[in-house]
Amino acid sequence: MSQEAAVAGKAPFTPDRSLFTRFNVIAGIIVIIGLVITILRFSGGLATVTNLDDNYPWGIWIGFDLMAGVALAAGGFVTSAAVYVFGMKRYHSAVRPAILTGFLGYALVVVALHYDVGRPWRLPYPFIMQQGTTSLLFEVAACVALYLTVLFVEFSSAPLEWLGLKKARNIVVRLTILLTIFGVVLSTLHQSSLGALFLIAPSKLHPLWYSGYLPVFFFISSIIAGLSMVIFESTLSHRYFAHKMDETHLREKEGVALGFGKAASLVLAGYFAIKVIGISVDNNWHLLGTCYGAWFLVELLGFVALPCFLYAVGVRDKNLTLIKWTSGLTVFGVALNRLNVCLIAFNWHLPSDEKYFPHWMEIGISVFVVTLGIIVFRFIVTRMPILYEHPDYKDGH
Amino acid sequence: MKKGKSLLRWAGVLAAGTIVLICFSFVGARGLASLSNDCGKEKRADVIKIDTLKVFGDIERPEVIFLHDLHTAALEKKNKDCSACHLSGKNFEVIPDTLKAAVQRIDRMSPKFRRLKDISRKEVMDIYHNNCIECHTNMSADGEKTGPVTCGGCHRKNPPVSSRQPVGFDKSLHFRHSKVQEKKCELCHHEYDEKTEKLVYAKEKEVSCRYCHKQETQENRISLKLASHLSCIDCHRKTLAKKAKAGPVRCSGCHDLENQKKIEKIADVPRMERKQPDTIMITTGQPGRIKDVTARMDFVPFDHKAHEGYNDTCRACHHTDLEKCNKCHTLAGKKEGKYISLEQAMHQMGTENTCMGCHEIKQDDKKCAGCHVFMQRTRKKEASSCLKCHMKQPEVSDPGNAQLSEKQLAAVAGTMLKARKSVTDTFGDEDIPEKVVIRDMVNKYGPAEFPHRKIVHTLLDNIRNNKLANYFHSEKGTVCQGCHHNSPVSQKPPRCGNCHGKPFDDKNMFKPGKMGAYHIQCMGCHKEMGLEKPVSCTDCHKENKVLN
Amino acid sequence: MSISRRKFLGWLGAAGMGTAMGSSADAASNKHFTGYPGSMGVLHDINRCVGCRSCEAACNKVNELQSPDQVFTDLSVLDKKRRTTSDAYTVVNRYDPATGTGREKEEPVFRKIQCNHCLEPACASACFVRAFTKTKEGAVTYDASVCVGCRYCMIACPFNIPAYEYDEAFTPRVMKCTMCHPRIMKGQIPGCVESCPKEALTFGKRDDLIKIANERIQKYPDSYVDHIYGEHEMGGTNWLYISDVPFERAGMREDLGITPAPQLTSGALAGVPIVVGLWPVLLTGIYAMSKRKEKIAQEEEAQAVAQAVAGTEAEAEKKLSAALAKAAKDKETVVKKEVKKALEEAAKAKEES
Repeated sequence: MSQEAAVAGKAPFTPDRSLFTRFNVIAGIIVIIGLVITILRFSGGLATVTNLDDNYPWGIWIGFDLMAGVALAAGGFVTSAAVYVFGMKRYHSAVRPAILTGFLGYALVVVALHYDVGRPWRLPYPFIMQQGTTSLLFEVAACVALYLTVLFVEFSSAPLEWLGLKKARNIVVRLTILLTIFGVVLSTLHQSSLGALFLIAPSKLHPLWYSGYLPVFFFISSIIAGLSMVIFESTLSHRYFAHKMDETHLREKEGVALGFGKAASLVLAGYFAIKVIGISVDNNWHLLGTCYGAWFLVELLGFVALPCFLYAVGVRDKNLTLIKWTSGLTVFGVALNRLNVCLIAFNWHLPSDEKYFPHWMEIGISVFVVTLGIIVFRFIVTRMPILYEHPDYKDGH
Repeated sequence: MKKGKSLLRWAGVLAAGTIVLICFSFVGARGLASLSNDCGKEKRADVIKIDTLKVFGDIERPEVIFLHDLHTAALEKKNKDCSACHLSGKNFEVIPDTLKAAVQRIDRMSPKFRRLKDISRKEVMDIYHNNCIECHTNMSADGEKTGPVTCGGCHRKNPPVSSRQPVGFDKSLHFRHSKVQEKKCELCHHEYDEKTEKLVYAKEKEVSCRYCHKQETQENRISLKLASHLSCIDCHRKTLAKKAKAGPVRCSGCHDLENQKKIEKIADVPRMERKQPDTIMITTGQPGRIKDVTARMDFVPFDHKAHEGYNDTCRACHHTDLEKCNKCHTLAGKKEGKYISLEQAMHQMGTENTCMGCHEIKQDDKKCAGCHVFMQRTRKKEASSCLKCHMKQPEVSDPGNAQLSEKQLAAVAGTMLKARKSVTDTFGDEDIPEKVVIRDMVNKYGPAEFPHRKIVHTLLDNIRNNKLANYFHSEKGTVCQGCHHNSPVSQKPPRCGNCHGKPFDDKNMFKPGKMGAYHIQCMGCHKEMGLEKPVSCTDCHKENKVLN
Repeated sequence: MSISRRKFLGWLGAAGMGTAMGSSADAASNKHFTGYPGSMGVLHDINRCVGCRSCEAACNKVNELQSPDQVFTDLSVLDKKRRTTSDAYTVVNRYDPATGTGREKEEPVFRKIQCNHCLEPACASACFVRAFTKTKEGAVTYDASVCVGCRYCMIACPFNIPAYEYDEAFTPRVMKCTMCHPRIMKGQIPGCVESCPKEALTFGKRDDLIKIANERIQKYPDSYVDHIYGEHEMGGTNWLYISDVPFERAGMREDLGITPAPQLTSGALAGVPIVVGLWPVLLTGIYAMSKRKEKIAQEEEAQAVAQAVAGTEAEAEKKLSAALAKAAKDKETVVKKEVKKALEEAAKAKEES
């Protein structure tokens, strides 16, 4: 976004301020296109707007919007666990933004799911009609549904404060630790189960990505994604919403970046180690010499090992810019890993003319969903006590 | 600004380091992968494994794979011949024309590389290393494409696959050689006299090289590989040096499948003059009795002369020596015959060394396979079919004690063979319907008109020219059994639909239903006989337009 | 929040109970499902198949599927490899000998592809609304009335069989062979089996089919590879295959293994109750510990403050009393001085008079 738009966005809301800021125009166009595609999708079926076929039943709506989305929304449970369970009060200012990101992330996952699934009005069926408990997807669905509720309740303290409903807000706040623990349990379950979904197809997933440890890989990388996403989101918020932030927030920002960066570096190192263990357990070293092997090395070395080092250097030198860019790299890397497992290394036997590439309308909906998220984020952050403490509740929590 | 520069520097260094690491890992893993792959998908006939040092103990590195024809060709370009690598004494270009000369193998070339004997481990190793690497180094210094000079370049773990086909003499090749040598059998055929410890020629005892020269060298009896290469290639090489036409000297010349097909084959080879019998009586080995009281089956008269013509080599039957089968394969079986009893040696299916095995293989011919493909090999044959070979012996006053000499037995066999009727008998045309209309399954397709008589006549024509086929189909109704199977021989055999009814009946699991029976039988026969038509559905039955 | 020992032990106990009450995962058990007794199946004899596509036509008719653009008698479609689609529950493919192997003169091989009706189907295991059922008759059937359309079954199937009606906007279904289950229930046989002229498809009880397959292999050992595909692959299937050529040559994967699909995920599912049981305990413990640390830190701080305050107060007291004493002394000295002065003045005044 350009400087002028940033400035324009920064200006306090006055009734005669023009609505046609650059961001609003672009976002508006995306939303309109998205709505058109939505109508096409629901009137004409999946074939009209996607390149999905019988060999690739899951496309980027699952690979990116669902899998990467869930991983990137993991900042919620990571931050709240750090602050409330592990007692690291110095990151307190990061909790509400992280919870908001998490809540919006999961909400958008559910929105995207409504596009992808054949009969979205039947999404409650696994809970109310027949429970397919042998299926990991059932477990994912149940945990995501419950976790969305948890996030909603955790987030609700902010709008309650905004609406001035003191009693309700106090009840919510008292539930914090319980919700946090519940949230960590649910997150562990569904983050790992998203990886476990592919355990059922060893003949279709490339052996470098397929492992009995897939659930562990997905869970650990979700922690990494969460930590990085908090840094990333904090960076963007500080750029565009700094006028909304209170002193605590501004003061703690550096500490959040350094602390979370340190943690991310450590977890990345551990993730790298278990990935290497995964290759050696199946004795797949010779596969690294193939084309897919080269791609795997790019993912492992360029998006796991490299950010590990960059984070470490950034934290040591207190180089916030480096940490900021590394968080972007890491977030991209985790999303890449999800896309690899779900699309690129999936059905790797097939010849290239049978492989899948998303339709532009699929990309359009993904962009549309993300844009919706940003719009809602902006709405909430500019009105509710996310980036600052509400003056009436300063002593709370 | 300082921080920014530092950021750039660090990010750049680490990113570059990552890319380098990725490339290294990729290349390294590729190397690892190539070690477990087949290098050189090409299959060659000239693959020689150099593992000489094994006679001195364990070898440290993998055996070296040497491509002989490759080197012969390369040396030819430099106007070098076998003597560039193979040592020999004087007069090595003389072609032996007497047994003595042949036996002495005048200055044959040693098949070993640059040496006549394997003296010691170090010496042999040095010979190879010094000579090979030197030549390769020299050639590469001249800028030519050459072989490896590093250890791992020759001592490779995964060699190219050898496509070497075994090669042997058949009647045609033998005839061509004996003609060229003006029937001087002694030039090739010899025996080993234990007493004088010399090779001698025994007239009218010439046998196949393989009877003595086995796979491995045993003491002073060299292996077949060595014997054939020394004899054959030696003679060819010398003849070629005299600018005369000769056989191949390169590995691929004999051992490559395509080249083998190009070997000239004489169509009508005159009979080998080895004083072999025309007819024999196959007995159980009891001397001279016309009927062996212990054996209980009649002896089998055997037309030896005719069978010589049916096979390309003698060793198709005489696989170990030219003696009678029952010398090693006795009734009970003995060690010399690897405990294979006479019954097995004569009747075992699935091998061409036995009588029945060979006859069965003949049924794979396109003319026969149409019916015979459906007859399972392991089926129990009717008892009466034994009598086809175990013919009833002529009457003798006291069969148990009648002593006949070999010659006399052979004469009796000859008489019995002459009395055989090798003519196919079948029913007359009036009993064979001309056309059979199969209309009992009309549904998607209309009735099928089956040219019954035409097919029977075609089958009979196929049989008529084959003596073996004729003999076994000599009874009326046998030919009909090809399709009218699993029923007694009859002038009016049952229709297919009489036995084949509803499919997938779990009380008749192994019997196809009617539609399946027709299609499996008819289409199966057509496929085996390689018929171009009928092939598609409408070739046999037209579509039923009424129903559609 | 401080947690008493009693409470903590109570939590532990509850967690332990919770874990113990979970059902066994059977991930490493010896249980092996060999099929419902008397379940039916189909034996496909690849040696007999001639690629006439009668089975495709019959399937299309019996299931009232959409007619394809090219008629079923058009054998040119066999030039390309096909897979099952939403309009075709089954296809027949022709597999030509590979070029460059010197075997070009070999005959092409034909094979029919359709749902293999596994004993332990991956699709049924993967479906989160139980839309797939392994029936007692052996067929794996699909219930479109509960299907949400998530298409996880398509991901899970190792044979790539289920297809989806992506063109349908409101009622998209997963489409796959049903082994003509409705017909079987009426005592009929599947449409494809009925139509095959060469009986390349045999219908019967799975156990009987294995017997038939073994009998054929034994009778004609030169004509068959000694293996029944589907006897054990992916835990066993109700659609079996025998062939005259290696199965790889007929386009069938020989690297699928014998582990049934549900067993591949049972380990991960078994972890769920453990996480549910242990994580709360762990996290509560950490929370309690961090809270305790906080409290101790607070107490120590308070103590230090109090000490510092007390020290300061004492010092102040001392100073005050010293100052007071000094002041008193000073006052006394002044008083004494004044008194002395006064006395002196008085004495002086007396002297003067």
